[in-house]
Amino acid sequence: MIRVENLCKTYPTRFGKKLVLDNVNFELKKGEKLGILGRNGAGKSTLIRLISGVEFATSGRVLSDMSVSWPLAFSGAFQDNLTGVDNVRFISRVYDQDFKHNLAFVEEFSELGDYLREEVRTYSSGMRARLAFAISMITEFDCFLIDEVSAVGDARFHARCNYELFERRADRAMIIVSHNTSYINNHCNKFALLHDAKLKLYDDFEEAYSDFKTKIGLADSKVTNDPRPKFAAQSRKQLIDTSNTSALHDEKFFNKVLEAHMRGEEKKWDEARDGYASALEIYPFQGSYWTQWAHMVKDGGDPELAEMGYRTACAFGESTGEVDEFFTHVLKKQKRFPPVNPLVGLTPGPAHEQPSTIPDVNLLAIAAWGQEDVGREELIALMREHPKCDSLFACLVEDERFAKFHAEWLVVEDGLGSKALKARVKRARPIEDAHLWAANLTSISNAAESERGVHKISQMIEVKKDALPILLAHGGFSDWPKSQAALRARFG
Amino acid sequence: MSSEALRKTPLKESFTVQGRVLGALLIREVITRYGRHNIGFLWLFVEPMLFTLGVTALWTATKSIHGSDLPIAAFALTGYSTVLLWRNLPGRTIGAIRADSALLYHRNIKPLDIYLARIFLEVGGASISFIVLGVLFIAIEWISPPEDILMVATGWFGIAWFGAALAIFLGTASYLSELVNKFWHPFSYLLFPLSGAAFLVSVLPRNFQEIVLLLPMVHGVELVRDGYFGSKFTPIYDLSYLLVFNLVLSVIALMFLRYVSRRVVPG
Repeated sequence: MIRVENLCKTYPTRFGKKLVLDNVNFELKKGEKLGILGRNGAGKSTLIRLISGVEFATSGRVLSDMSVSWPLAFSGAFQDNLTGVDNVRFISRVYDQDFKHNLAFVEEFSELGDYLREEVRTYSSGMRARLAFAISMITEFDCFLIDEVSAVGDARFHARCNYELFERRADRAMIIVSHNTSYINNHCNKFALLHDAKLKLYDDFEEAYSDFKTKIGLADSKVTNDPRPKFAAQSRKQLIDTSNTSALHDEKFFNKVLEAHMRGEEKKWDEARDGYASALEIYPFQGSYWTQWAHMVKDGGDPELAEMGYRTACAFGESTGEVDEFFTHVLKKQKRFPPVNPLVGLTPGPAHEQPSTIPDVNLLAIAAWGQEDVGREELIALMREHPKCDSLFACLVEDERFAKFHAEWLVVEDGLGSKALKARVKRARPIEDAHLWAANLTSISNAAESERGVHKISQMIEVKKDALPILLAHGGFSDWPKSQAALRARFG
Repeated sequence: MSSEALRKTPLKESFTVQGRVLGALLIREVITRYGRHNIGFLWLFVEPMLFTLGVTALWTATKSIHGSDLPIAAFALTGYSTVLLWRNLPGRTIGAIRADSALLYHRNIKPLDIYLARIFLEVGGASISFIVLGVLFIAIEWISPPEDILMVATGWFGIAWFGAALAIFLGTASYLSELVNKFWHPFSYLLFPLSGAAFLVSVLPRNFQEIVLLLPMVHGVELVRDGYFGSKFTPIYDLSYLLVFNLVLSVIALMFLRYVSRRVVPG
């Protein structure tokens, strides 16, 4: 049994003392598995360290009559300039165990082969993780502390880790800390939420999880879903690049897709699809989760919309080879056999030549029609007829709704550079936080040459009606030939 | 201690664990420091030997000191070996906790173990070097055997103790402030000429003797030399001063260690 009593921990910082754990209490019996949820920096790892005994609490104590492991798979625990074998030897010595037996196990489990005789500093992060986990499994403990075990390694490695931990050692106590809420759901029978230095215990995962969502502001996101841009990309290409990388480090995005993933596992396709869509609202130009979204749409029985999802994903850099199988499947479902494969990968070159995608339709429709959601049918029709951004936008400009939305400008006779337009642009006062759609629209229109420029321009776009005039005034869409022609025709 | 076992470990078992941990750390330290290349861990004492040999050769060649009938080789050997003994120790422990903090994840490894392993290794290297060179010089008849081995050992032990206490003190202090590392280097250089390695206390002017004798290692060196060739000069030292100094420094060092151990945040 482990008993944590009134545990408090403060860290000195430049700005005074920071309370990380405030009066934490819980008890863990043999065989119980406690999963701790909490956002980044909530103090989960600190709690693990206090229990493992490496760090001292400011007050309170941890009592145990079990042997407690070091934080599992923690790759910092070995010495870089020792070989894998030396590390095994060291651990065997410290824990008084048979070295030969241990080495045989590590060799078999880590599958590092001859690398085991190389210095650990030459290892890749995946190799380190394999060694770390294998070494962690050498020593038997009554209680295992697991801190983000699922961070690295491939699926097969995870499966073997899970077997070693949760099947062979099912009778042990465990404390698991992870971002991955479904991992905690799958392996724990007690749950806790660490928030604002307080630990709250739950017997039921759903209860813990719904509190967690409320605390990190996921639950109410439907109400206030006007995310602000986190960066200003200078071009559409850069927007795709940055979205792909930064989305994965965004906690909100990550939790949203995790939840969507969980709904998907439960085969609740519509909920899963909406979950991914809500994540993608924050990073509409993120590739891999459009694939997930499309999978959900496909399994929900809408092959046409799924087709558009796959096209979007590939246009943002998903591997066409990977996606092709599903894509062919949804085409077959529709009994459509286009002569040219409409699945196009990430295309270099200017924005107007790039394949049109779902977020492009949505953004350009805002600029052209002031319409945020064009609806399923229209989206499919538009993307099917206009595989490139340029012709897509030209088509939107030629549509009746453009004339209606921009009637104010169209009556003016002096065309694109009209005085009224300029006056409108001049009147625009920058708002504090740009709208996300405005920032993204500015990026793809290529109106500015620097990130600062994008930032400044997008700040001026307060309402949808202003978007197009302001972008045009700054030279946005100037290198989109078809769109330019269509715009000129509009403005006379 | 905030993380404690409900079952108390018997003292005997604790000693076994302690010994095991220290042994494992020692071997690890040897491999990380010297690796398996060329002569490997022999560097442990070959390195200080080369230093001492060089200094001995230099001093012998120039006969730089006093021109008396002092056995210059023995003078250099005792002088420089003792300097290496106390001066290198803090160098091994400054920053050690930060470098090895990941080891603390193993429940039985504490900051003191990390220090002790490094101290044993350093003292061992310096001692082997001192003994090997001594035997070598005696064999080729550069110097005559020590007059009183026990006295040499006592002096040597006193300096090693001083070095160990200083090392733990500076090592823990360096965890609290990086300035320690910056100041120790110049300070140790300045201490060298005052440490008794390059002079005999008896040849100094009286008022200067009093100042120099405030330094504990001066007593140690004099004691070692008294054991080696005490009949050739007038040794001036106070063993009890050295021991009391060591004792006080050890207590302070352990207090620092306790303070730091409670605040270590492992990486």
